Amino acid sequence: MSDKKKFRLSPDGLFRQNIVLMSGLVTAPVIVAATTFERALILTLSFLMISYTSILICRFIPRKIAYTVRILAYVGVAAVMYIPTMLLLNAWFPETASQVSIYIEILVVNSLLLAKTESRFYLCPFSEMAADALVYVAGYALAAFAVGIIREFLAYGQLFGMRVCDAPVPAAKTTFFGFFLVGILAAVCRAITNHRRRARTDVIRKGAE
Amino acid sequence: MEVISRIVSVAMVSVFVQNAIFDRAFGSNVAIYASRKNGTVVGFTLGITAMTTIASIISYFLDGVLLPTEFGWLFMPLIYSAVIGVLYVLALLFFWRVFPKMFRRIRKYVHLAIFNCTVIGALFLNSNYGSDLPSYIGYGFGTGIGFFLACLLLNVAREKLDSDRIPKVFRGYPIMLIYIGVVSLAFYALAGYTADF
Repeated sequence: MSDKKKFRLSPDGLFRQNIVLMSGLVTAPVIVAATTFERALILTLSFLMISYTSILICRFIPRKIAYTVRILAYVGVAAVMYIPTMLLLNAWFPETASQVSIYIEILVVNSLLLAKTESRFYLCPFSEMAADALVYVAGYALAAFAVGIIREFLAYGQLFGMRVCDAPVPAAKTTFFGFFLVGILAAVCRAITNHRRRARTDVIRKGAE
Repeated sequence: MEVISRIVSVAMVSVFVQNAIFDRAFGSNVAIYASRKNGTVVGFTLGITAMTTIASIISYFLDGVLLPTEFGWLFMPLIYSAVIGVLYVLALLFFWRVFPKMFRRIRKYVHLAIFNCTVIGALFLNSNYGSDLPSYIGYGFGTGIGFFLACLLLNVAREKLDSDRIPKVFRGYPIMLIYIGVVSLAFYALAGYTADF
C-alpha cells in the first residue's frame, strides 16, 4: 500500500460549513446586494477572483512569519487582487458592478481569508487545499444565486432578467428581507444537513447490527 | 461648538439611520460572535470604535489626495487596508508594552475586531458620502457606537432566541439572522427610507 495520503475532496463547504448559510463568515454581500441573478453572478465572480486567488497566493507565505504579519499579508494580497477584479467586472457589467462595488471592496477583509486559511486550508496539501477552497466558493455561489434568484422574482417579478409577472413582494430588495431570507435558507440548509447526517448514522448502525 | 454639533449629528445618523449592521449588514457575523458575552461586546466595541474613528481621520486626508485622480478609487482598498494594518500593529504594540497579560489573551482575536467589514465599510462609506473632517469623525465614531447598539440588542435577545420554543433547526444562527431582520425593519421604519447601497 502506498504511504502517500489519498486525495480527498471534502464537500463540507457546500452545505455543512457553507460560509453564508451555516457559519456566517461572509454574509453582508449576499444579504444586502444579492437582489438579482446578475448581482449574484457579480458577487460570486468577485469572491472567486479576490478570495480564492488570494487563498492560493497566500499559501506561499511562510508559516515562520509572525501571525500578525501573515494577517497583514493576506489582506494586502486580497487588496491587490481587487484591482484586476474590479477592472474586469466594470468591463463585463458596467452598470451593475458599480452599484455593488462597496460589497466587492469589503471582500478584502473577508473571514474566509482571515480565519479559514489558518484553521483549515493551510493545514492540508496544496492540491487538496485548492479543491477544498473551491468547494467553499461553490457554497458561497450556491447561497448567492439562491438568494439572488428568489429576490429577483419577488422584488421585480423577473427571472434571470426576463419579466415574468408584477413584483409580488417589492420589499424583497431591502436589507431586512435579506436577513429574513438568509435566516430561513440557513434553517433549510441545517435541516438538510441534519437529515443527511441521520441517514448516514442509520446506515452505519444497521451495518454494525 | 459648530464642529461638535456636526460630529454629533453625523454620529446619530450613523447609529440610528445608517446603522452598519442593520442597514448594510457590515460585520453582522462579527456582531453575532461578539454578542455572546458581555466582555466581548465591550472589547469588540472599543476596538472597532477606536479603529473607525482614527482610520476615518486618516482617510479624510488620503481621500482628498487620491479620490480626485482617475484611478485612485481602484487603490482605495489597498490604501485603507494599509491604514488599518498600521493601526493594528500600533494597537498590538500598545497592548504588548502597557498591558502584557491582556496582550497574550487577545492577540489571536484582535484581528477579528480590526479587520472586519464594519471598519473598512465605514471608510468606504465615508469616502462616498463624507464631505468634511467633522463628518468623517462623526461617521467613524457613530459606526462604532452603532455596532455597540447592535451587539447589545443581540446580547439581550440571545437567551430567548436559544429557548426550546424556537424550532430546533432555527436555533442559533438562523433565528439570530431573522431577529436582526426584525430589528432592521424597525430601523427602516425609524429612518423612513430605502438604502440604494
